[in-house]
Amino acid sequence: MKRYEVIVVGAGPSGLSAAIEAAKRGLKVIVFDENEKPGGQLFKQIHKFFGSKKHHAKIRGFKIGENLLEEANYAGVEVALNATVIGLYADKEVVVRRNDQVFHYKGDCIIIATGAAENMVTFPGWTLPGVIGAGAAQTMMNLHGIKPGKKVLMLGSGNVGLVVSFQLLQAGCEVVALVDAAPQIGGYGVHAAKLSRTGVPFYLSHTIAKAHGEDCVTGVTICEVDSQFKLIAGTEKYFDVDTICMAVGLSPMSQLLKMSGCLMEDNPKRGGQVPIIDEFGETSVPGIFAAGDVSGIEEASSAMIEGRMAGVCVAEYLGYCTHEEKNESLAELKKDLESLRQGMFAPANRGKKITKTEEGIEISDSLLKNGFVAEQEIERYPGVVHKSGIHPVIECTQNIPCNPCQDACPKGCISIGENITNLPVVEDENVCINCGMCVASCSGQAIFLVDEDCGDGSATVTIPYEFLPIPEVGEKGFGLGRNGERLCEATVVSVKSVKAFDHTNLLTMRVPKEYAMSARFYAS
Amino acid sequence: MNRIENHPILGEPQKTEKVTFCFDGQEMNGNMGEPIAMALKANGVMIHRYTQKEHKPRGIFCAIGRCTDCVMIVDGKPNVRTCVTPLKDGMVIQTQDGVMPKTEANEVERSRV
Repeated sequence: MKRYEVIVVGAGPSGLSAAIEAAKRGLKVIVFDENEKPGGQLFKQIHKFFGSKKHHAKIRGFKIGENLLEEANYAGVEVALNATVIGLYADKEVVVRRNDQVFHYKGDCIIIATGAAENMVTFPGWTLPGVIGAGAAQTMMNLHGIKPGKKVLMLGSGNVGLVVSFQLLQAGCEVVALVDAAPQIGGYGVHAAKLSRTGVPFYLSHTIAKAHGEDCVTGVTICEVDSQFKLIAGTEKYFDVDTICMAVGLSPMSQLLKMSGCLMEDNPKRGGQVPIIDEFGETSVPGIFAAGDVSGIEEASSAMIEGRMAGVCVAEYLGYCTHEEKNESLAELKKDLESLRQGMFAPANRGKKITKTEEGIEISDSLLKNGFVAEQEIERYPGVVHKSGIHPVIECTQNIPCNPCQDACPKGCISIGENITNLPVVEDENVCINCGMCVASCSGQAIFLVDEDCGDGSATVTIPYEFLPIPEVGEKGFGLGRNGERLCEATVVSVKSVKAFDHTNLLTMRVPKEYAMSARFYAS
Repeated sequence: MNRIENHPILGEPQKTEKVTFCFDGQEMNGNMGEPIAMALKANGVMIHRYTQKEHKPRGIFCAIGRCTDCVMIVDGKPNVRTCVTPLKDGMVIQTQDGVMPKTEANEVERSRV
């Protein structure tokens, strides 16, 4: 039986982070992962992350994955792939299946970072080929370059449903509708708004009544639900689709922890069966730690911090750093984690109905119900201002922990302040130089550069554009509203794609000036 | 084709070695090392297996090796998770029917049972 000081289960964001912190302090660490490649789900995330600079904000998920692997490599972490941990027994004995053989290992400390599995909902026809998980869609298109389908219906309006729907559009699929049984959109409003402006309709208080087809999905019927989530007869709507994608939450994969005798609890706020842990991830069994989604569903940025915390704790537990060193590192990490757990979508606010922002501004009702801020609502927000000449218009209307726009502007036009969840404010006195860095830096694609009056009856609107083909300069098309409706004719006046924008192209369109504050997307 | 030729963020797919494999007696092409399920999807194959008792079709569901909906007979071995098994040149892949290959003889056997 081979012995390691630390055995980490799962080479995703939290497992790798934990292994890095432990290995950096001199521990002999091995990470087991059942997959062929390390990185967990990070390599499927092609969108820019939210957060602050320190939390990898505005960096795309797969790039964060690459950086993490490099760091793990440098720290001397050993990663064993195609190695499924099938058992965790007394005295920290770990049983691993590799190919068709079983091996036994012993760890002085164990860090479980197995992540989470997707939830499903059942409906007639849900087992048909063509009904897939949102994770499957990401795996197909972002890892393997395969289109999940031609016409897709997405069930679930949390951040996963919203982000994957947008990625489906980027992969060249049509998203016919986004459906959620809840009466309001679950994920970030900015993610919903990105979809709405391309014309994807939202059906809240709706669910799938039936998937049609004999051998595979040929269509889907959705149906409105009442407040008890019962189908309302006569409200059925049919869509011609070949793919139904489900993004209905995640559950911690905590079986190994349970098996090893850790005290568990059923905690719906953390996503289901989770270990009882202290604030740094230690379970009820000394020397066994849990980090990332397995100890409560959140997202990759917090999973990485939790992993680092567990790594530091393990180092101290085995005598590789002093109590003081541990406390110093943990204090820093705790501060980072707390800053990510702020705002409307913070774990503490789960299930609460929030009607006003921290600034006391009313939340857009249309954003929650339809996926876009209504025209009569948009002027309420401090990022939406009117000025002469080109200036940023920031349609960021919910308190989320994210602030790259503030640093992106070299002229100080945008301020968020110390509190990372504040809504961005466009400063009146500073002058925009039309560099576009703010537009490209906004992970929510909520910043536009607008010249409301060019003097000839026209206005220009610069939008973030992450689709192919990239429209040609001079091309005539249409300006679309926040709800995706065609508002007016639009001419493409420039398309900027520089390295610093990281694949977010800046498309500038000329529209009649009365549409300056309403045209937010371009379609040819 | 179901392959993405150019992606706004990821660019063009990496050039990989092409391989041929056999699906239910039919010759198909795929990329060396990609999951079998992806090669099948690229070729428009949706049904991977039929369930043992009710004979209902199943295909890719989770695509990460958890759900086992996509298992098939690969080089004679049943219950292979095609979403996490890399494609190799010359592989023989069969639609699984219960735990057997889907063949006419099996159909007859099934109807007798």
